[in-house]
Amino acid sequence: MKNWWKILTVLLLVFTVAAGMLSDVPRLAILNETIRNLYFHVPMWFGMILILLISVVYSIKYLRKPSIESDIIAHEAARVGILFGVLGIVTGMEWAKFTWGEYWSNDPKQNASAIGLLIYFAYLVLRSSFAEQQQRARISAVYNIFAFAALIPLLFILPRLTDSLHPGNGGNPGFNAYDMDSSLRLVFYPAVLGWTLLGIWIVNIKSRLEILRQRLYENA
Amino acid sequence: MKMLRILALCCFILCGALGIHTTPVQAQPEQTTVEFSAAQPEVEMADQMRQDGKIYIVVTVLLTVLGGLLFYVITVDRKVSKLEKELKEGLGR
Repeated sequence: MKNWWKILTVLLLVFTVAAGMLSDVPRLAILNETIRNLYFHVPMWFGMILILLISVVYSIKYLRKPSIESDIIAHEAARVGILFGVLGIVTGMEWAKFTWGEYWSNDPKQNASAIGLLIYFAYLVLRSSFAEQQQRARISAVYNIFAFAALIPLLFILPRLTDSLHPGNGGNPGFNAYDMDSSLRLVFYPAVLGWTLLGIWIVNIKSRLEILRQRLYENA
Repeated sequence: MKMLRILALCCFILCGALGIHTTPVQAQPEQTTVEFSAAQPEVEMADQMRQDGKIYIVVTVLLTVLGGLLFYVITVDRKVSKLEKELKEGLGR
């Protein structure tokens, strides 16, 4: 069964939406029912990191052994990762408006993720500025590694060094900073896996399409 | 590929089942608080969908949106698979 993970994706996402709305959640002031956004906003960022990691892996693979396939997968994964990041930042703003009071409160986490996304936008701009395929693939692979290396401290280290409204930041967060109880985890982990798999699925389809296009040009 | 077709079908059935579930709710008027005699048996109705501040309606809508998006992704996936097959056969000739 080659496509089992696609079925898993569908099942996980249906579970996420149904259980995410209906399951019991901790009753917390200010957050109220918006705590359910945990199943939809946070997985965007987890998904982005994982998909961008796939992108970096294929970029490294390209640099070790150049092939058009590796370049295409790295590019498509970066694009889907950026899409997830944009969705993450927009859903974060929507959530922030009703819990922090402002769409954008210049929170360290918000600013850092915006800078991280800008670095990745530059990847797309850089890529599109080369006409020659090998040059484009090699230079964007190198830049991609830099972009990922810059993203990790921006998202996971710098916001923790200062005060932040965002959970898990400001001071020493450790792993239990989200105050997640077992009922939250029960839906949260499937949600992360489901959304990430959906992203990987889109990368899979788009890469196959691009590889087909490449073959078609070769044979034309 | 066959599994995907079955999967798409399952999505459809799921959406359909939820749709059917909603229909009697719309037709049904607000439950009155008139007291009947004790002998009157309680009439069973599909009240599930209006309980808890109608959250189930939101779940239905979200599942419909998700179902539509997933259906689209599955369709594109199958189109690409078909193209891959065609190109493979075309190159073999």
